Amino acid sequence: MKVRIDLDKCYRSGECYYNHPELFEMSDDGDPALKVTDLTDAGMRLHAEQAAEVCPAGAISIEE
Amino acid sequence: MAEALQEQQPPALPNEIDPREFDGPAFQRDPFPLYKRLRDHHPLFHDRFHNRWVLSRYWDIDGAFQDNASYDRAVYKPDGPYQFGSTHVFGPNILEYGNSPQHRWLRNIVAGQFVGNRLQVFLPMVAQICDEVIATFKEAGEVELVSQFSSQVPIRVISNMLGLPRQDEDTFVGWYQALIAGLGFGGEHLARGIQARNEMWDYLDPLIATRSKTPGDDLLSRIVSAELDGARMSPDEVKGFVALLLAAGGDTTDKAIANMWFHMMYTRPDQYADVQADPNLWDDVFTEMMRYDPVVHAQFRHTTREVELHGRVIPERAGIILYLGAGNRDERVFKDPDTFNIHRSDLHMGRENRSGRYKDGKPGHLGFGIGQHFCMGYAMARQEAMIACTKLMAAMDTPQPKFDRHPGISSPSIDSGGFRSPQELVLTFNPV
Repeated sequence: MKVRIDLDKCYRSGECYYNHPELFEMSDDGDPALKVTDLTDAGMRLHAEQAAEVCPAGAISIEE
Repeated sequence: MAEALQEQQPPALPNEIDPREFDGPAFQRDPFPLYKRLRDHHPLFHDRFHNRWVLSRYWDIDGAFQDNASYDRAVYKPDGPYQFGSTHVFGPNILEYGNSPQHRWLRNIVAGQFVGNRLQVFLPMVAQICDEVIATFKEAGEVELVSQFSSQVPIRVISNMLGLPRQDEDTFVGWYQALIAGLGFGGEHLARGIQARNEMWDYLDPLIATRSKTPGDDLLSRIVSAELDGARMSPDEVKGFVALLLAAGGDTTDKAIANMWFHMMYTRPDQYADVQADPNLWDDVFTEMMRYDPVVHAQFRHTTREVELHGRVIPERAGIILYLGAGNRDERVFKDPDTFNIHRSDLHMGRENRSGRYKDGKPGHLGFGIGQHFCMGYAMARQEAMIACTKLMAAMDTPQPKFDRHPGISSPSIDSGGFRSPQELVLTFNPV
């Protein structure tokens, strides 16, 4: 499972890194970045799924 | 002799700040001169009288909002002995929680209701309520905008969103005014606020029970039945959240609408002509109002560790006040900060971001806060204010302020809670 962030679509709402700081972090310019790449942990998968669901820009997708 | 004594007086310190200035009526009316002295001479002011540290520059406030490891909002620990809601006029609500998992859970269970498609479905109802309220005064050709319009619309919108019976709307108006006043420091107001809360809770109990069993499309049903990580909000948490919605969600939008009209009628009537020509500019009136003199001027934090700032050290567990209203006038960030200008090119216009970062590279206003505790109703507030102002403008031909002079926007007195707005705003117009 992989998380993809489309930075062209992203408008820096911040919802991913404020709601799921376990998985995402904020760069200085406000773009999100992945903190963790290993998503074998069930908790991390849940964070990824919830972040993809709440992203108002629809910029987060999950690839199996 | 008298001369000799005078010579021994300490030198005058013109930029010194007497912390009692924060409590006076002059500060309630016009806090901006004091904000400027803070920014220029005391960017980190230790207010020992109120036992707090004051931040007033834009990037210092942004820094505190962004730094969850050093600044927290909560006073009580979620797992400590404090019963959440027991001393708060709203009951247990999201504002009482700090940077905790409980806060994130409560926020996430409701936040999605106020953005995107879930918000869009409510907008036709907002327009209809505006029409109804406008119809009550339109033919008179005169309106006291605060009592007859801005304080009427948001509360009716929220009670409609919640699916509460329409015939009870006037009762909610009374309750929310008591709740808001109860946020202040006056004991009488608090007592009345708690009484209003208890009446409202008794009213809500049977409704919550029914909608938990047979949920409809309304917001109350969605809140009671929303699940996150397999759990729902408790009935008390639902009631606390409804109180928060009615009071904080209603009153802030109410004041935002009144402030926008105040600025268009008194501060920049020349720019009102621009808005008449292009009603989409109400969006920029909203943004500039939220910068120039936002509804909410201050947010509170405490430090969770020692923080170095401006060559000094704030101790751990120190109270912090972030003056958003001061940061928004920071001349280090905005040119001519004391000029209200909807055509400003150095401010991010349009929808706010919780991150406070924008792809156009411009700084945004601080009026909704930033970060973990960014206003949850930001999109709702903007859309509702836009609809309300556009509808009202369309109903009035050549609106004029009835009185040449106006005392201006002010904070309420310290003993009653609430937000910044004009007390009254009387307009005359030709009905359209």
